[in-house]
Amino acid sequence: MADTPVITVYDAQSSGEVKESVALPAVFTAPIRLDIVRFVHDNLNKNHRQPYAVSLWAGHQHSAESWGTGRAVSRIPRVSGSGTGRAAQGAFGNMCRSGRMFAPTKIWRRWHRRVNIKQKRHAVASAIAATGVPSLVMARGHQIENVNEVPLVLDGIEKVERTKELLDILTKYGAKDDLERVEKSVHLRAGKGKYRNRRYTLKKGPLIIYEDKNCALRRAYRNIPGVDAVSVHELNILKLAPGGTLGRFVIWSAAAFKALDNIFGTYSTPGVEKKGYTLQRHMMTQADVSAIAKSDAVQGVLRPIKIDEDEHHPKKQNPYRSKRAMEKLNPFFKLKKRFEILKNRRGH
Amino acid sequence: MVKKEAKKVPESLQKLRSRIAANEAARTEAKVQAEQYRVAAAQEALERSEKHLKDYVASQVLNQDNQQTANENRDFWVEPEPKVILAIRIKGINRCPPKVRSILKLFRLIQLHSAVLIKNNKATKNMLKLVEPWITYGYPSRETIQKLVYKRGYLKLNKNRIPLYDNAQIEKELGKFKIVCAEDVVTELATCGPHFKEVNNLLWRFKLSSPKGGFSHKRTSYIQGGDWGNREKKINNLVLRML
Repeated sequence: MADTPVITVYDAQSSGEVKESVALPAVFTAPIRLDIVRFVHDNLNKNHRQPYAVSLWAGHQHSAESWGTGRAVSRIPRVSGSGTGRAAQGAFGNMCRSGRMFAPTKIWRRWHRRVNIKQKRHAVASAIAATGVPSLVMARGHQIENVNEVPLVLDGIEKVERTKELLDILTKYGAKDDLERVEKSVHLRAGKGKYRNRRYTLKKGPLIIYEDKNCALRRAYRNIPGVDAVSVHELNILKLAPGGTLGRFVIWSAAAFKALDNIFGTYSTPGVEKKGYTLQRHMMTQADVSAIAKSDAVQGVLRPIKIDEDEHHPKKQNPYRSKRAMEKLNPFFKLKKRFEILKNRRGH
Repeated sequence: MVKKEAKKVPESLQKLRSRIAANEAARTEAKVQAEQYRVAAAQEALERSEKHLKDYVASQVLNQDNQQTANENRDFWVEPEPKVILAIRIKGINRCPPKVRSILKLFRLIQLHSAVLIKNNKATKNMLKLVEPWITYGYPSRETIQKLVYKRGYLKLNKNRIPLYDNAQIEKELGKFKIVCAEDVVTELATCGPHFKEVNNLLWRFKLSSPKGGFSHKRTSYIQGGDWGNREKKINNLVLRML
């Protein structure tokens, strides 16, 4: 490739002032593998689940026994004892009132899933690549019409201490629309989560990726609804592709952006932080199929479209009923008929 | 004042347009050529058909003359044994003995009321003898064959049953034998010409309707008043009812 694409780094404090230009890290050209991202996301999403189960002894805290046959009652175990309405009632079965449920849920259900490290890394690489494609980000639902450039890299965003300041910066760089979208999307959760401390749901807004684990930004973003922040050294597929959908709107800090080549490596060097990780190779080096089809190399060897006449034959018309059909098979027939008619006339 | 520049057309689009134009031109040229060819072919077909008719009439006249001469001289004249047989399957597919089944398959008489033309020689005569109760056969006239080819003519093209609707189809398949129109096909079949096999094979078996007015009764031979077996020239009457 003659020139690698270049991303402008903007100065966070000013409004739109260009700080420098950085070459696009190789991760952004990784293949966008929705299948891997979906798979990894679906599995890793299960890892913050808390177990639920019914009590171990639920439904079994009786000394119930079946009365056996010969007593004109069903053979279900019945509660022992007397002197109360509960006595002789059916117990234990899932069909019995106050019985144990069918297949009582157990806490040793396999709640968590492990995913191969390489798959996880490929997924994150794909997700990052997707954040660099404006159409994918818009398709995911983010309002980025007024954003200068995607990926959006801001220098000096890590130093921000105040939420108000951060909000200011986000507004200056066109993220306000997305934040508004999130604010408008706050709804009561449907379902029982509503009274289990998950009362409201809201959409996902921008994700800020910073480099320094102890930067001031970590507290500035917390109170802005929809905004998440993540360290570039601890990138999370669940944050980069929420719901398994690629293309989250990401705002990079300059340090984080520049660190990407060191973390993921390039196509010529393996990653340092992700030790030994090399970016996935593309299935197709030239993915623009229509360009390939239109190219001279292909068009030069094509023959013009041939219409196979055998496949496009008309419905058979009876030549003895249709003059047109007879004309095609026997042009002489008309003449012959004519001669016969004339002969008959002459005869009479 | 802004100078209005011609809108730049991308190179690939230019190339695409020129390619399409070239293809269109080639196609119109091909159409013109095809039309000219078609007119010439129609004229050729007309001339050939006239010739075939003349030949046929001449041969009929010759036969009549021979018969007349024989009658006048109290002599005998036997018509030459017909070269072509038309066989029609009149019995269905159930309870068919294996030998009969395989012979009928060789004759392409796999379906009820299907008709095929067969060369008349010792080999086929013996085969027909074995399957007589399942078919009726006879000696078709030129007119019958003509009607079959025109109305029920389908070609076996690339293993598909394609209707015969144009002489161009015949020329494409049989042009190398100098058979270029439907009348050529009919003549070749009726007179059992040198390329009878190729012509017959090009035709799909004739799928006829059940006869208007019905069969007499299929359980006995034609000679006994029924329907199966050799009915010589009377096959023509039957075919006209089944066409």
